[in-house]
Amino acid sequence: MKTLMIKTHEVWLEMLMAGFMSHTAKKQVLFDFSDILFRHFTWLENELIELGESYSYDRDMIPVKVERLDDILKDIVKRLDDIDLQLLGSPDKALSSRISSDIAYMRDVLKNMDDEVVTAFNMARTYPGVELTQEATDALTLFLFEESYKEYELIMIYNYLKAHSNDAYMNRIFQILIDESFFHLKSFGDMMAKMGLLAVPRVVMKELYQVEDVVQFLKDGINEELAAKEECKRLAEAVSKDSEEMAKFFDFINHQENYHIALMEDALAHYTKGRDV
Amino acid sequence: MLSVDAQLIEHMMSPKNYGSLAGSDAQGIGKNPENGEKVVIYLKVGKDEEMPYIEDIRFQAIGCTTTVVAGSMLTEEAKGLNFNGAKNLVEATMKLLDKLPAEDAACSEMVALAIKAAVDTYEKRREDPDYPVITYVVSNSCVPKEENETKETN
Repeated sequence: MKTLMIKTHEVWLEMLMAGFMSHTAKKQVLFDFSDILFRHFTWLENELIELGESYSYDRDMIPVKVERLDDILKDIVKRLDDIDLQLLGSPDKALSSRISSDIAYMRDVLKNMDDEVVTAFNMARTYPGVELTQEATDALTLFLFEESYKEYELIMIYNYLKAHSNDAYMNRIFQILIDESFFHLKSFGDMMAKMGLLAVPRVVMKELYQVEDVVQFLKDGINEELAAKEECKRLAEAVSKDSEEMAKFFDFINHQENYHIALMEDALAHYTKGRDV
Repeated sequence: MLSVDAQLIEHMMSPKNYGSLAGSDAQGIGKNPENGEKVVIYLKVGKDEEMPYIEDIRFQAIGCTTTVVAGSMLTEEAKGLNFNGAKNLVEATMKLLDKLPAEDAACSEMVALAIKAAVDTYEKRREDPDYPVITYVVSNSCVPKEENETKETN
């Protein structure tokens, strides 16, 4: 079951990367499939928790650098085949059957997808329709690497907290934050692919998501959101001379952080209520 | 800000030696108490030569992109070195820190100290197999000097 969860984690990310690579309407299909695989991942995680088995979010590095979309789609199909085989030994037959049926459909769709040339790794560092100065390009490059990892990290942390909490109030907040981080990750990943800089976020260290002190985590998280707001503001200023549209986008992301901070403050107040902290 | 060139982007897109190492012989930690960032080094030590050498190396980081790039570059250089070579690499890196911007210096120092900590942990464990994983603390600050007058020390 642990291996199944790790393999599902890997194929979820690979499918997401394939979505970033596509320039056509297939992009949305691949994103939808990656969302489905993320849900599989959370269900398998829940199974492990119910069985009382320890687990982590460790996984192998995922090689995604390809020149044709077909290459990555073939690799995804191979990984899905492996998962399907491993499902035979899974104790929860209803869950296995659901995952297996999703895999059968996804595999069929992937096998019939048209090929595309992939430009997501060409390191061109140009953004379609925008001419950025070298300074703005460098600032944007660093921001995208830093923040795409950060959003993945947040997804994993909030997901772990949610998986180990039975508090509906906290879980509602965690789910909103997961959804928000997914939106940011998809936005930044898409920009990275357009600039030829696509990369799989690195593995998150255990001590980050296996949170021992939720209060401290929330306090640190609020400070990190404040820092992220400043980063967005700085970046909006750096690109504003070259692209009003891009500056507006980063202002929009900056303003979204306000709600994240409010949610985390809310979670902190709820969590500490009646606790001696 | 980090100067962005093709080599740097390559390290950002595919950091070398990132992850943990199953069956590692020693670990070491470099830490920045100022911001909670840290680097963990995992070593697989080769023993079939006169002096122990770094047969394989991995790193994990809680830190920024600069730390990951420094980890990727330094672990690539450390791979295959005997322990004297690894100590020289750490020393050479420490000597270069003054030439780097504050935030880059703290990140590179953290990686170099983690390598030193892993090598030292390995050596200590030859005498005492239960010796705990060594952690070294950076002396450089992420905050530019004019904004931060006090410095952490080892």
